[in-house]
Amino acid sequence: MIKTITYSEAIREGMRKRMRENPNVFILGEDVGEFGGCFGVTGDLIKEFGPERVRDTPISEGAIVGCAVGAAATGLRPIAELMFNDFVTVGMDQLVNQAAKMRYMFGGKIKLPMVLRLPAGAGSRAAAQHSQSLEAWLTHVPGLKVVYPSTPQDAYGLILSAIDDDNPVVFMEHKLLYAVAGEVDLDIAPIPLGVADVKRKGEDVTIIATARMVHEALAAAEELSKERIEAEVVDPRTLFPLDKETIFKSVEKTNRVVIVTEETKRGSYAGEIAAIIAEECFDYLDAPIVRVCCLDTPIPFSPVLEDYVIPDSKDIIKAVRKLF
Amino acid sequence: MDLSNEKIIQMYRTMKKIREFESKAAELFADGRIPGFVHLYIGEEAVATGVCANLRDSDYITSTHRGHGHIIAKGGDLKYMFAELFGKETGYCKGKGGSMHIADADRGILGANGIVGAGHNIAVGAGLSAKYRGTDQVCVCFFGDGSTNQGTFHEALNMASIWKLPVIFVCENNLYGISMHQSKHQAIQDVADRAVAYNIPGVVVDGNDVLAVYEASKEAIERARRGQGPTLIECKTYRHRGHFEGDPTTYREPEEVQEWLQRDPIPRLIEFMLENNVLNEEDMKKIDEEIAAEIEEAIKFAEESPFPPVEAAVEDIYTDIVEEVRR
Amino acid sequence: MKAIGIIANPASGKDIRRLVSHATVVDNNEKVNIVKRIILSAQGCGVKKIYIMPDTFLIGYKAIQDLKISKELKIDVEILKMNIKGNVTDTIKATKIMEEKGVKCIVVLGGDGTNRAVAKSITTTPLIGVSTGTNNVYPEMLEGTVVGMAAGAIATGVSNIDESCKREKRIEIYKAGQLVDIALVDCVISKQKYVGSKAIWNMEDIDMVIVARGHPASIGFSTIVGTSLIVGKDEDFGAFIRVNSGSNRIKAPIAAGTIQELTVDEPKVLKLGESVQFKPNYNGIMALDGEREVPFKIGEHFQIKVTRNGPYRVLVDKTLEIAQKNGFFKT
Repeated sequence: MIKTITYSEAIREGMRKRMRENPNVFILGEDVGEFGGCFGVTGDLIKEFGPERVRDTPISEGAIVGCAVGAAATGLRPIAELMFNDFVTVGMDQLVNQAAKMRYMFGGKIKLPMVLRLPAGAGSRAAAQHSQSLEAWLTHVPGLKVVYPSTPQDAYGLILSAIDDDNPVVFMEHKLLYAVAGEVDLDIAPIPLGVADVKRKGEDVTIIATARMVHEALAAAEELSKERIEAEVVDPRTLFPLDKETIFKSVEKTNRVVIVTEETKRGSYAGEIAAIIAEECFDYLDAPIVRVCCLDTPIPFSPVLEDYVIPDSKDIIKAVRKLF
Repeated sequence: MDLSNEKIIQMYRTMKKIREFESKAAELFADGRIPGFVHLYIGEEAVATGVCANLRDSDYITSTHRGHGHIIAKGGDLKYMFAELFGKETGYCKGKGGSMHIADADRGILGANGIVGAGHNIAVGAGLSAKYRGTDQVCVCFFGDGSTNQGTFHEALNMASIWKLPVIFVCENNLYGISMHQSKHQAIQDVADRAVAYNIPGVVVDGNDVLAVYEASKEAIERARRGQGPTLIECKTYRHRGHFEGDPTTYREPEEVQEWLQRDPIPRLIEFMLENNVLNEEDMKKIDEEIAAEIEEAIKFAEESPFPPVEAAVEDIYTDIVEEVRR
Repeated sequence: MKAIGIIANPASGKDIRRLVSHATVVDNNEKVNIVKRIILSAQGCGVKKIYIMPDTFLIGYKAIQDLKISKELKIDVEILKMNIKGNVTDTIKATKIMEEKGVKCIVVLGGDGTNRAVAKSITTTPLIGVSTGTNNVYPEMLEGTVVGMAAGAIATGVSNIDESCKREKRIEIYKAGQLVDIALVDCVISKQKYVGSKAIWNMEDIDMVIVARGHPASIGFSTIVGTSLIVGKDEDFGAFIRVNSGSNRIKAPIAAGTIQELTVDEPKVLKLGESVQFKPNYNGIMALDGEREVPFKIGEHFQIKVTRNGPYRVLVDKTLEIAQKNGFFKT
C-alpha cells in the first residue's frame, strides 16, 4: 500500500508494524505515551498498545538508555526515545560504555537488539542545547550502528531494519524533516542498514549529504544543472555501517567530492568520510575533497545567526563551483 | 525459616570458594601472571553468597568491578573465570573482557562492570523485562557505597519503585569509595536511609553474617517475586584488601582493619556450623580439599589454554559485521 | 551539678522489619534533629551540662555543630571521650560513664533494643526512652522538646525522683545460676538457631514467650500474652505462654501492620521472683525485646524470672505536672 505520509508518521508506522508483529518490541521514553512524544512521533501508539508497551519514563536519560540495555540483554527489543539528541550526553555512559561494548566485552555471548531514537538537527530556533548534530560522537564508537534518514520512505524502511537488528542502533531523526511528506510504500522490505541511496544521478560532482542536507544538496544540484554541472547526490542513509561501495562508485565517475552535513566541522563525521575517500579512492580524485558543515560554534538562538551558521544550498553551490 | 543444613553447607562452600579463588588471584597477580587490574572480594563473601543462595539460574544479577564473588556465587565456573583473568581464548569472554567484565548470560550474569554505578540502570531494564514477559524472575543489583553517589543509583531506585520492578538493590557498604571514607563521601551512615526517598523498604544487615544476608535477601526476593517491587538491602562489610591489588591502603587505620578481620564472615560461619553440628571438622576439611583441587584444576586449564588469535580482536563487536583487519 | 546524658543509637530503626512488616523508618538525620530539640529545651529549662555518647554517625557532633552555627547553644555540651565499636557495647559503656559523671537523667533515643542495652548497666539514674526504633513497647513516642523539659525538671530537682519516676520490671535470664542477660519487655524462645538479621518475626519457630508486660494496645510478641491476659507495667507480676501448642486460637499484633493468628496455651502468671525453668530439647535462640540474642543448646538449663530490678523510668507527664505545681515555668 502506498500512502502519502510525513517522515514522522513513517517512523510511527514502522514502529506500529513491528509492535503488531512482535510482542517483545516496546517503546520507552519521556512523554511518549498519552502526550504522543515531544515531536509527536509516537502519536497515538499508546491507544493501540497501551502504557506497558508505550511506556512513559521519568526524566532520566541515563536510566532510559540503561533500562533499554538491560531489557535488550534479557530478551526484549526496546525502542528508546530521547527528546533531543543533545540529551544523549546525559545517557552517554549507558550508550557508549554499556550498550556499545557489552557484546564485545562478553566475548560475543550476548545480543543487544535495541534502538535509540534521537531527534537531532538545527533550524527549530531551539539554541545550543537542543539543536546539535552529534553523529560524529556516535559513529566514533565501535559497537553502535548509526542511521540518519532523509525521506519518509527511507525513515520507514530503515526503522524496520533498526528494530530487526540484533545490535544497538542509534536512529537519528532530523526535527525539520518530521513534517516533510512523501509517498511511502508500507509494504516494502526493510531497507538494509549500510546501503546508500543515490538521490540524484549526475556525472560531474558527487555530493554526499545526510538527513536535511540531502534536500539542500538536491536544491543545489538543480541550480548547478543550469550551469551545466550535473551533481550526483548520494545519501548514505546509514552512517555506520557506511556504504563505501556506492560512494566510491560515484567518485570514480565524477572525480570530485563535496560532503555536506549539519555537524560542526571540526571532528565531524564528514571528515571521516573524506578520510576514507582520500585513503581508498585517492587516484580517482581530480580536486580536493570539500566539506560543507556547520560553523564551529554552538548553535545560536537568533534566527539570523542560526541560519548563518547552518549550511544551505547556496553554500553547497559555492563549494561545488570552486572545484571547477 | 527453611534453612537446611545442606543450604548452610552450600553457602560455606561458596564462601570458601570465593576466598580461595581470590587468594589465588592475588598470588597470580603478584607474580605478574594476570595482566591489568584486579579488585578482590576477600572479606565480603557473605554478601554475594547469602543473596545468591536465594536465586535461581534464570534470575539476573548485575555486578561491579569487584565482581568475582558475585559470579562464583551465581554459579560461575572457575575454569572460565581464571581463563578470562589470564586473557585466554577459553575465558568467559574469550579474553576480551578480563576481570572487570566477566559475564555469563546463561546464568543471568549481566556482567561485572568497570563503570561505578552502571549496573543500577541495567538491573532496572532486566527487572522491567522480567515483569514485561510475565515471569517471576528477579534481578539483584550489587553495588558499593561509593556508587550510591552516582545519579544512576537515584534514577534506578526511582524507576524501579514507580514501576514496582522485581529488582533487589544490594549495597555492599565496605566503608570506602576507593580511598574515601564513607563519612566523607556522604552525609549519611546508612545507605538504606535513601530508600525512604523512593518509597521502598530499606534495611541494614550485618554483611559479614551470611545467615543474616540470606534471611534478609530471601524476604526481599520473595517480595519481588510476588510483584511487590524493589528493596534496598545494605550489607555492612569490609574488604580485607585494597581497592585494587597493589593499593597501599594508607587511608585505613591498622586498628580498623584488625577489628574487621575479627568479624571475618568465614570463621563466623564455621563456628556456627561446628557449634550446631551442621558440619564436622572432617567433612569441612573434605570440602576445603575439593575446592583446592577445583581451583588447581581451573588454573591449570587457564594456563594451558591458548591466547586468542589476533584476528579475534575484530570479532564480536556486532552480531553481523566483522571489522576489517588493517594491520 | 545539673547535668543530663543523651544516648542516641544510630543503628536503630533500620532492621529487617522494614521488609518483613511495615515498620517505621527513622533516619539518622532526624535523630540529629531530635537531639537538637532536646538540647535546646533542656538548656531552656535549667540544665547546665549535657553529655552525649559518641557514635559512628556523629549524631552528637552534628547537633552541637548545627547549634553553634545558629548561635543557639549556650551551655556546655560534651561528647564523651570513649572509643566506640559501633555496636551495643557503646551504649552499655556510655551509660556507665554518664552515671559516674553524676548525670541526673539519661535520655535514650532508640528502640527496645537500645533501652535494653542501657538497662544492662544503669543503676539508679532515671531514664527517658524516646522511640526512634521499630514500633516499640518500652520507649514512648515523645517530642524532643517535651523530653528536654522533663529532663530539666529532674536535673534541677524541681520534680523529685520518688514521685516522678517509677522502677520498671525486667526479665532476668539465668543459666546455671548466673545472670546472663535481661529484657525489658519480652523474652521469646525460638527454635531458630542463629542470630541472622537479629529481629525475630517467624511465628512457626516460636516455642514460648515470657513477658514483663503485655497489653493489647501494644505491638510485638508481648501482645501474644497481652491479647489474652493484661500484664500492666505497674502490676507486680509477669507471665508466660506456650506458643504453637495448646488449643486457644488468638490473633495478635506481632509486628507493625501484622495481625497474626496463632495457637497458644493459656497464659500463666509469673509472680515477681518466681522462675520459669527452661531445659531445651532442641538448639535454639532467645530473642530479647525483639532481637535474637542468646543461643542455647540441648541440655542447658535456664531460669527465667520477672523482677522489679529494671531502670527508673521518668514519667514525663507526671514530672511536668509536678514541675508546674512547683513553679518551674515561672520566669
